[in-house]
Amino acid sequence: MSKIDFLLHESAVGYAIFKVNMQADAIGNRLKEAEDTAEELSLFGKMVEVVGFAPFQGAAHALENANDLSEGIVSDYLRTVLETNLPKASSKHKLVLGVYDKNLANGIKTAFDYVECETRETSEIVAGLLRGLRLHAEKLLKQLQEGDLERAQLGLGHAYSRAKVKFNVEKNDRHIT
Amino acid sequence: KPGARGGAKTIIEPHRHPGTFIARGKEDMLVTRNLTPGEAVYGEKRISTEVTSQPGETNGEVAPATKIEYRVWNPFRSKLAAGILGGIDEIFMKPGSKVLYLGAASGTSVSHVSDIVGPDGTVFAVEFSHRSGRDLINMATHRPNIIPIIEDARHPLKYRFLVSMVDCIFADVAQPDQARIVAMNAHLFLKTGGGILISIKANCIDSTAPPEQVFAREVVKLREERMKPREQITLEPFERDHAMVACVYNKF
Repeated sequence: MSKIDFLLHESAVGYAIFKVNMQADAIGNRLKEAEDTAEELSLFGKMVEVVGFAPFQGAAHALENANDLSEGIVSDYLRTVLETNLPKASSKHKLVLGVYDKNLANGIKTAFDYVECETRETSEIVAGLLRGLRLHAEKLLKQLQEGDLERAQLGLGHAYSRAKVKFNVEKNDRHIT
Repeated sequence: KPGARGGAKTIIEPHRHPGTFIARGKEDMLVTRNLTPGEAVYGEKRISTEVTSQPGETNGEVAPATKIEYRVWNPFRSKLAAGILGGIDEIFMKPGSKVLYLGAASGTSVSHVSDIVGPDGTVFAVEFSHRSGRDLINMATHRPNIIPIIEDARHPLKYRFLVSMVDCIFADVAQPDQARIVAMNAHLFLKTGGGILISIKANCIDSTAPPEQVFAREVVKLREERMKPREQITLEPFERDHAMVACVYNKF
């Protein structure tokens, strides 16, 4: 079982890269103690640490990235974020990055030859850590203020869904034949 | 107008589940407190009561009577309302909760969930159909605690950046593989110890087997996915051959 070095967290406000300082071992991962550690912010905060946070620049930028993310495409912005925040390593001694999506993982692997990816399917540790991030990321990212994430989710949710159904606010409805 | 009007005669009592109420008038009705007073979502009846809450007046002025509006929740149109009136023990949602709602449709039931969780809560409403999705988005523009997500609930990764960790998942997807759909969403988004409510339509899973058997099989599937079933109730007389199962999510 390889060690997970970094985690990629995607949210409605932007990308964040976390460094993993401690990780539970694979066997004990389903135990109650491991679960409690992930739930408790003070304990989880010791396991990971923020390396970089890259907020989206405005609604249009967020929507663009969201569309790429849902298709599993590595957007240019994500590429620069990874480039600036991950330390350079040799292709022999690879970094291990935990991500959600296996398509995205493949994209990152092709773009960076020194990065190896683990997803939720390949590693239960990654699954557990990403769950912890989803629970605590808002508090771990010091730049965020209370309510920032909710507002971003609301805006992006509407924008993303409208684009899906070709919904136009001005015209109320526009049928596509 | 006929029907449940005349707020003076109707008395609102809180229901056992926080956020829901019973209006006792000519007949008893399940209601939720309207988040957007003065607006009906789908033409449902509204009841407003005047609250003269502060009997002690300030500076000799009588405190202005504040109006609270409630919306009637029809159990024949909403499975969750049917479940509540059917006496389900726990709905896992209360004011301030975050709820992931799978199978939101046009958002008629979602609007009542949005009433329940109130301004401090959030409803992530997932619906795949574009036709009803439009209505859902339209409705959500008036209610800022609803986040509309037009995506396939089968691929939760496609909307992972829109959803936070939630306290409760409500699923009304009516698909043969709904246990798997709910499980995938739970593994990603549901807090440990969070609640899951699933409405199961026997016909949608297997139309040849007797309903009881279908329900039993679904419960087994849920158990395998680390969801501990707590109770199962029938949605009779509001829906035929439907059951609602309440589970608690435990990762260990």
